Amino acid sequence: MTETILKVDNVSKAFGALRACDRVSLDLRLGEIHALIGPNGAGKSTLIKQIAGNLRPDSGRIEFLGRDVAALDTVERARMGLGRSFQISAVIAEFTVLQNVVLAVQGARGTSFHFLRGALSDRAVTEAARLQIERAHLGGREAVRASDLAHGERRRLELAMALALRPKAFLLDEPMAGMGADGVAEMTGLLDGLRHEAPILLVEHDMDAVFALADRISVLDYGQIIASGTVDEIRAHPEVRRAYLGEEDAA
Amino acid sequence: MGRETLLNAAIALGLVAVPVWAHLAGEPFIITLTTKAVILALAGVGLNIALGHGGLISFGHAAYFGLGGYAAGILAHHAQTFTPLMSAPFIIEGTKFMPVIWLVAVIVAGLAALVIGALSLRTSGVYFIMITLAFGQMLFFFAISWPAYGGEDGLVIYVRNEFPGLNTLDPIQFFALCYVILGLALWFSHRFGRSPFGLALNAARQNAERVQTVGIRPFRLRLTAFVISGMITGLAGALFADLNRFVSPSMLSWQTSGEIMIFIILGGVGRLYGPVAGAALFIALEHFLGGVSDYWLVFVGALLLLVVLFARGGIIGTLAGREVAHD
Repeated sequence: MTETILKVDNVSKAFGALRACDRVSLDLRLGEIHALIGPNGAGKSTLIKQIAGNLRPDSGRIEFLGRDVAALDTVERARMGLGRSFQISAVIAEFTVLQNVVLAVQGARGTSFHFLRGALSDRAVTEAARLQIERAHLGGREAVRASDLAHGERRRLELAMALALRPKAFLLDEPMAGMGADGVAEMTGLLDGLRHEAPILLVEHDMDAVFALADRISVLDYGQIIASGTVDEIRAHPEVRRAYLGEEDAA
Repeated sequence: MGRETLLNAAIALGLVAVPVWAHLAGEPFIITLTTKAVILALAGVGLNIALGHGGLISFGHAAYFGLGGYAAGILAHHAQTFTPLMSAPFIIEGTKFMPVIWLVAVIVAGLAALVIGALSLRTSGVYFIMITLAFGQMLFFFAISWPAYGGEDGLVIYVRNEFPGLNTLDPIQFFALCYVILGLALWFSHRFGRSPFGLALNAARQNAERVQTVGIRPFRLRLTAFVISGMITGLAGALFADLNRFVSPSMLSWQTSGEIMIFIILGGVGRLYGPVAGAALFIALEHFLGGVSDYWLVFVGALLLLVVLFARGGIIGTLAGREVAHD
């Protein structure tokens, strides 16, 4: 059996009367892209936040690398190797591309408590950062401030930062949100190559990208997983067509 | 060389040229005035680490300034009255020796910043401002009501403390000493800003959640920065006590906290020479406008308003433009 990296087991989370996550179970296995889809308000972001450690589940269990992470906060989970990107671009706006990725590299290496040497004068660190910048197709843009980047570039910068952590799993929340067709194609190509480095739990609204990339898909609706399976199984699933793909089919 | 580097060099040179001229022209008061600007700039360099780099709006840095001042005053007081500072369980004597006084000032201010920071950094925004202010005022009222060291009247240092090889009573020599210390603090501040720690701290100011997701804890960064910041401001306090040969609770008052903050805002928040430019301008205004009107602070207020409204980068930001990140 393939190794399970991340396991969400019967997790529930309610906000008052709203059941944002209702007995959700899913797993992420080595080498795969597992897409999580569902309409707005289905509870995808709530689930991601619980996995990353921003929210505490009311009940259920989350295991990462075979370890119950209930007692760990976001920082400890990141250190364990959970590489995350946000739904809304979260980069350090005043920093350049290189500074942003160097920040991630020094986070991964635990070398942030040095006061006198230059952050950008350590060759080993900057080389590691440049490598990830190249991989995210941002070569030549190292000295550009994040706030001056185009939207698609900023999303790839986030990916470069996640890559620099050398994570054991990626948690990507709508990496293609707001991108044009070219941007989506470029990001799809990038993510396709990443699954062998670390498995990806991908939340995404762009169905073409999801169907092109995912090994497995889980569908979330009103806080519940209503279907889980391969791309073909999901395409054929009647409840999924009704809940989520219906409009697309009619069009 | 960048525009900012040139501007910084001009400010550094100007700060030497004025007292050298005053020395030659026999104007010791001008030397003292410049020394005051240098010492206050040092206090600002300290605050700039917390405020500029860390985004921590401390409205209580007078606490560290005053603690540094009282460290100098109390040690000198015991030395000049020949009474031990502590007699049980072992004897600690006072001292007039500056390096020891500075060390004590830095340690005391650092410890206070550690305790105050650990408690107040659990809050943010307005609450953080109010808590740091509250701690500062606590120390202020404590100093006023503690008669052993002068209470409201403060403590007098009869003869300025000593530094080996220098006659510290000679204004130009004491100026040189303070100037060198400011230079060292600026060197540290420059390296600090470009270090891995400075990078992470600046990142945490802009987006703390992002910093967490790369496995760095913003609280630890901020607390460390707050302690370093308090230590530098504490050292400035010790020098200020020696400049005036007098320590009083006013060093601990919230007005002092406000003034240190004004230097930074006038000069340029987060800019290396921001506090230097700001303190120099403040002292110059005090000197020239203070002669014209007792209400000279009204003009400072108007200037501050103009800077905040129209020149956010302060003097340095307006003259040198946006900071260059790297090539």
